[in-house]
Amino acid sequence: MKLGLVIDLDVCVGCHACAIACKEWNASGTTGPLSDYQPYGAEPSGVWFNRIRHYEMDEYPNNKTVNFPMSCNHCEDAACVTVCPTGASYKRAEDGIVLVDQDKCMGCNYCSWACPYGARELDRSSGTMKKCTLCVDRIYDLDLPVEERQPSCVLTCPAHARMFGDFDDPDSAVSRVVRERSGYGLMPELNYNPTNQYLPPRSTPVIPIDAKPKGGLKESIKQFANKLVRR
Amino acid sequence: MHPAFSVIFFTVASGAGFGLFSLLFIADTFKLGGGFSREQLIIGGLIAMALIVFGLLSSTFHLANPKNAWRAFNRFRTSWLSREGVFAVVFMPLALAYLLCIWFDAPLWLRELTGLLSAALAWITVFSTGMIYACLKTIRQWNSPLVPANYLALGYASGSLLLLLGAVVSGLETLPYIAMAALILSIAAVLKAIYYFWISSPGLGPTINTATGLTRAKVKLLDTGHTHGTFLTQEFGFQLARQKAGLLKVVVFVLGFALPGLMLVWVFNQQGGQGAAIVAVVTGVIGAAVERWLFFAEARHVVNLYHGAQRC
Amino acid sequence: MNAKIKLENHDAQEIKYTTCYMCACRCGIKVTLEDNKVRFIQGNRNHPTNQGVLCAKGSAGIMKQYSTAKLTQPLMRKPGTERGEGIYEPISWEQALDVLTDRLEEIRSTDPSKLGFFTGRDQMQALTGLWAQQFGTPNWSAHGGFCSVNMAAAGLYSIGFSFWEFGAPDWDYAKYFIMWGVAEDHSSNPIKIGLEKLKRKGGKFVTVNPVRTGYSAIADEWLPIKPGMDGLLAMSMVHVLLKHEQFDYEFLVRYTNASWLVVQTPGQQGDGLFLRDENDQPLIWDIDKEAFRNGMDGDIAPALFGEYVAPDGRRVKTVMSMMTERYLDERYAPENVALECGLPAESITRIALEMAHIAFKETVELPIEWTDVWGRKHDKVVGRPVAMYAMRGIAAHSNGFHACRAIHMIQMLLGALDSPGNFRARAPYPKPIPPHQLPENNIDIINAPNTPLSRPPLGFPTRPEDLVIDEFGNPLRIDKAYSWEVPIASHGLMHMVITNATNHDPYALDTLILFMANMAWNSTMNTANVQDMLRAKDEENFGEYKIPFLVVIDAFHSEMTNFADLILPDTTYLERHDCISLLDRPISEPDSAADAIRYPLVKIDRDVRPWQEVMVELASRLKFPAFTKPDGTRKFKDYPDFIVNYERSPGVGFLAGWRGKDGTKSLKGEPNPKQWEKYIENESFFAHHWPDGQKYMRFANKGYLDVAADVGFVGKAEPIIMQFYSEPLQKFRLAGQGLYDGPQPNNQVDRERLVKYFDPLPMWYEPLEQQRVDKEKYPFFALTQRPMFMYHSWDSQNVWLRQIMAQNYMYMNARKAAEMGIKDFDWIWVESHNGKIRCQVKTMEGTQEDTVWTWNAIGKQKGAWGLKENASEATKGFLLNHLISELLPEKAGERRVTNSDPVTGQAAWFDLRVRIWKADPGETGSWPQFDALKALPGDERYERPDVLRYDARTHEKN
Repeated sequence: MKLGLVIDLDVCVGCHACAIACKEWNASGTTGPLSDYQPYGAEPSGVWFNRIRHYEMDEYPNNKTVNFPMSCNHCEDAACVTVCPTGASYKRAEDGIVLVDQDKCMGCNYCSWACPYGARELDRSSGTMKKCTLCVDRIYDLDLPVEERQPSCVLTCPAHARMFGDFDDPDSAVSRVVRERSGYGLMPELNYNPTNQYLPPRSTPVIPIDAKPKGGLKESIKQFANKLVRR
Repeated sequence: MHPAFSVIFFTVASGAGFGLFSLLFIADTFKLGGGFSREQLIIGGLIAMALIVFGLLSSTFHLANPKNAWRAFNRFRTSWLSREGVFAVVFMPLALAYLLCIWFDAPLWLRELTGLLSAALAWITVFSTGMIYACLKTIRQWNSPLVPANYLALGYASGSLLLLLGAVVSGLETLPYIAMAALILSIAAVLKAIYYFWISSPGLGPTINTATGLTRAKVKLLDTGHTHGTFLTQEFGFQLARQKAGLLKVVVFVLGFALPGLMLVWVFNQQGGQGAAIVAVVTGVIGAAVERWLFFAEARHVVNLYHGAQRC
Repeated sequence: MNAKIKLENHDAQEIKYTTCYMCACRCGIKVTLEDNKVRFIQGNRNHPTNQGVLCAKGSAGIMKQYSTAKLTQPLMRKPGTERGEGIYEPISWEQALDVLTDRLEEIRSTDPSKLGFFTGRDQMQALTGLWAQQFGTPNWSAHGGFCSVNMAAAGLYSIGFSFWEFGAPDWDYAKYFIMWGVAEDHSSNPIKIGLEKLKRKGGKFVTVNPVRTGYSAIADEWLPIKPGMDGLLAMSMVHVLLKHEQFDYEFLVRYTNASWLVVQTPGQQGDGLFLRDENDQPLIWDIDKEAFRNGMDGDIAPALFGEYVAPDGRRVKTVMSMMTERYLDERYAPENVALECGLPAESITRIALEMAHIAFKETVELPIEWTDVWGRKHDKVVGRPVAMYAMRGIAAHSNGFHACRAIHMIQMLLGALDSPGNFRARAPYPKPIPPHQLPENNIDIINAPNTPLSRPPLGFPTRPEDLVIDEFGNPLRIDKAYSWEVPIASHGLMHMVITNATNHDPYALDTLILFMANMAWNSTMNTANVQDMLRAKDEENFGEYKIPFLVVIDAFHSEMTNFADLILPDTTYLERHDCISLLDRPISEPDSAADAIRYPLVKIDRDVRPWQEVMVELASRLKFPAFTKPDGTRKFKDYPDFIVNYERSPGVGFLAGWRGKDGTKSLKGEPNPKQWEKYIENESFFAHHWPDGQKYMRFANKGYLDVAADVGFVGKAEPIIMQFYSEPLQKFRLAGQGLYDGPQPNNQVDRERLVKYFDPLPMWYEPLEQQRVDKEKYPFFALTQRPMFMYHSWDSQNVWLRQIMAQNYMYMNARKAAEMGIKDFDWIWVESHNGKIRCQVKTMEGTQEDTVWTWNAIGKQKGAWGLKENASEATKGFLLNHLISELLPEKAGERRVTNSDPVTGQAAWFDLRVRIWKADPGETGSWPQFDALKALPGDERYERPDVLRYDARTHEKN
């Protein structure tokens, strides 16, 4: 299996629901807690696995705002795993999920240097690197209802801009939508082969218009005729 | 990249240590300038090893969870960081053996063998240190063969200046040491100049467009999604003004290469040899430290594209 | 080797369902608890509102529950300290209730109007309104007057339901969607779910908004309109539709008053009113029978156009003819409004014609049988799949009522209302136009001691006789709602309460109760001055405060609590019983009538009580008739008991589900003592799914209206005819003209406003404040909006949410900023006629060139909301509110008039104009700054660590 996410930039409204659902689940999840620094102070900050950035394309008035959620891409050629000296970072053979073994990590940050996507964040309190687990503690939890065995970001996304599935299966919903909508991975030139795929904003639908103006005010009013329409 | 003091100290000190040790072996083998005495060799070797050990220890200060540092040797097969650690650790007993051979007047073949092996390991370790950075495709300024070359050249340049100081202090014929230092400094300066030239043009690396996949028009960051810094901005967000970088490069060349070079002439002319050699070492090491700081400060990780950089 | 994955310890966990309260959307949530700690909050996938999804606020509810801003006990301002100093002493609940009861008893037995009770972001107006009514004060409202009354009123006076919460786009069938002035909304999750549906099916999404953020980001087309010009744009679209004869003739004839005849006798009494028969029924000209006939009847063939002479000799004209004459005028031609709106004429024409194409060429027909209210059977439902939604951007202008009416005019012309693919009603709407509920205005009842009002304080006036004024025309309400100044102020004017009460205009209050409303900070206009008003003392009255007693109920340490004389601490939403009632603001969806409850999931760990519980207690102590048995003892043990057993009319109570003694009846039935249990069993909500035949055309759907009448949604099953032309408005205008046979204003200002702004057809005028400020001096429009993750929420102090945004910036158009030499993160001064502020700039492409805007309510007063004094919210965050005056700029010879829509009293937040310039070097940090709030007794319990590591798990990590 090659598990990962599809993110639909055409419908992501940038509401940060996925980011908070992720924080909420993982705070008490397998790699939790996730530290928050200065939670009540001057410059609040913390460990997050999923962050939403906002971009603008083109210039006023032709500009478009694009909301851009990013989390671990669970790359096929995950350099973060290659460079890890301790073996704490690993990619699971069975489903491709990239994880950090919290018991082995020495907090050297090297994996985060190798990651182009900013997916890894150091928790200063535990001294270990943390990252998206694809909610590995949800998706295989047989005590959860089957429809809830999904990453919490996917479960919560109000615009259904996130999909979870197996990219190895050509008939899976994620594989199909990526084919149909020309999904792409980020920074392909680095050859990391990210598993997560992004669906681009679509182009504006064209709607035919039926213009037959009646002319000026006087002409229009004259031409309006009563029709026999019964209530 | 955020220039972490511990990593700068580590790479400069251990680079100099490895350089010194390798060159000490060469000086010993060829008895340059008359050759060092046994005691002098031991002292020099211990100084080199001390630099290496302090460097390695300091490198663990940047670990957030040092209790797991011992695990760093686990991934020799894939990780240059692991390799560096393994090579450094293997170097130590060999280096010690070499020094013991000197101390106990071991047979020449054994002394030469341990010396050659430890010199080679020193070279490989410094190369590995360079490769830690050079193997990262995420940082254009590092992803180049020039990086290990620079690490080696600068480490050996520092080592050669230290060795020259040793030769002066020990009252050896300094000319071979001056020549060695001059040669290595020249190579290091040329490599560094090529490096600076090379990183100054952005080339065809990732841009904000390829990073986002939004390639049809100009893309600008509107909001990073968090008001204050995150791990990512703290670790990767460091930005150096172009003017300041230029100035610091002048400092690198003046302190790191020009002044030590001038001091070589001084030593050659015997105008206060010891003082000049000390100045050469001090300026050379400061120059190397500034170089190392710049090496980090100028490196732009591609994650910055997501934080609004147009290219890195 | 793989690491061990730690799974949940389900044995230690409990799952409960309740209703979210992080904003007004009120989604169903599934809460996982572990030893009284909240492990996980997720959307309830069976809930009609959110269908399983949940927004950022909802998930961040955990951090609200564990907020360090939570109040911990009742507090009384320390004797001898000044109001606003923030020095408090703890008192017991018993003491607090005694103090309050004594005070309220005194007021109620002398002059009940001396109590003001105003509520903010609460969701229980049916209860608070009942409480005020029972107390006998007219001085009650929620915050709708400064939020969205323009939308509610425009809808309820035009189509019988409305944007805001009484309707929703039909996402399943819509093919074209225009969103007017919405970045985020009450229906937060339904809109997100819907937009994705629309786009996935290939529908087009157009947004009209000066700023391209939020929903507008994913729009297919962005119309960057100048603020306040929406009505003009809508009327220009009407111009295009009429000019191209693109309107739904049948719909207009059958379901609107387009064919009703309007009397044309300018300068005489009765001008502009409908021609009516002896039974007061409106008349049409029947082109088949060639006779005047009752416009409410079924078997008629009305003329849509034409001028006729009534039997009494008066000239009459159809509404449609009046509309064509007005809107076909070149004034509304796209090329003539383009410059004012800031949009290309081509776009205006094209969008109007695209809508027409979708409405008429891509009609949706569903094979659903239904019977109309006149008895005719239909074998299908025809849907014009053009949906619209509009909110704050329209509402928060002083011309917003008419702008919203203009949008409804487009919907009516297209026949795109309450049918597949367009804008559909949510039960209990649609209602008669306007709803048959008048505000209490009998002065004798209002003044009577110890007497409830005979009807609620708020309602929908239809004529000058319905105003809440005395015989001299003076307002009877403290906020002057339903006075000549703002006659149709159906949600009250909360933004005027403190100003009016301080000025003793129209009279002085004794006690002001504010619930969950931050009227000393981000929910008031003119914040700095309002804080001074709260501190103001009356020299003539022995130095008593101008507002003598201020009671604040809140769960958190807000800027408002800092001014309270008595603080009553509320619980969080996870700690109390609550109900979201059909008598109140519905959570119904178009396909189902729905309500919901909350019940305590987490044990209370401090000395706080739910406000609804306290209200029931006070009502019992004060012996309100509805809360008291004939023998004088209390009728309801507590709030849950009240909710189950109170009946507004026989069989109709707060909760519509599981009624009847055995819990088998829906919508109507006797009280069920086990009703709470049934709700809890059923995931804390109830939904009555409408059968297909009752889902559409409900304004004229017999099947639906019969049920609606039976369960009390409407009085009678009679047609709800949509009103292009609003006769109530014309009656007020006649009063202004001196032509009304009834009360008329005696003040010139009022007369002028009525004549000018009470146009029975939608109109556009320059926003009132902008008419009075120098536009050369103040070249920019200035707006606010709230980010999606904080919309309609208390939660900028939330530990997780504030990481996303802890400081707001003033955003402006990048090109414009470059022209002015302003760069990202520069500090600037922003000045309006009312004052100036200093803040930091960010530039962007997605802002209309003449507009600057910021995120509202990010800025906080130092020390408020459990944050440390150096929080960015306080040092760098700012409020635009300081620049906005609650009064219009002074005009010679005129009394000061509210800065509100002249029809509805809606606060005109977005009429603001400003100038900006770069601050001098060294001028950094936001300005103005205020004294820091002091810690409250009880705050010691909160640690506020520098690193927070929340972990709900109690079990050993296995």
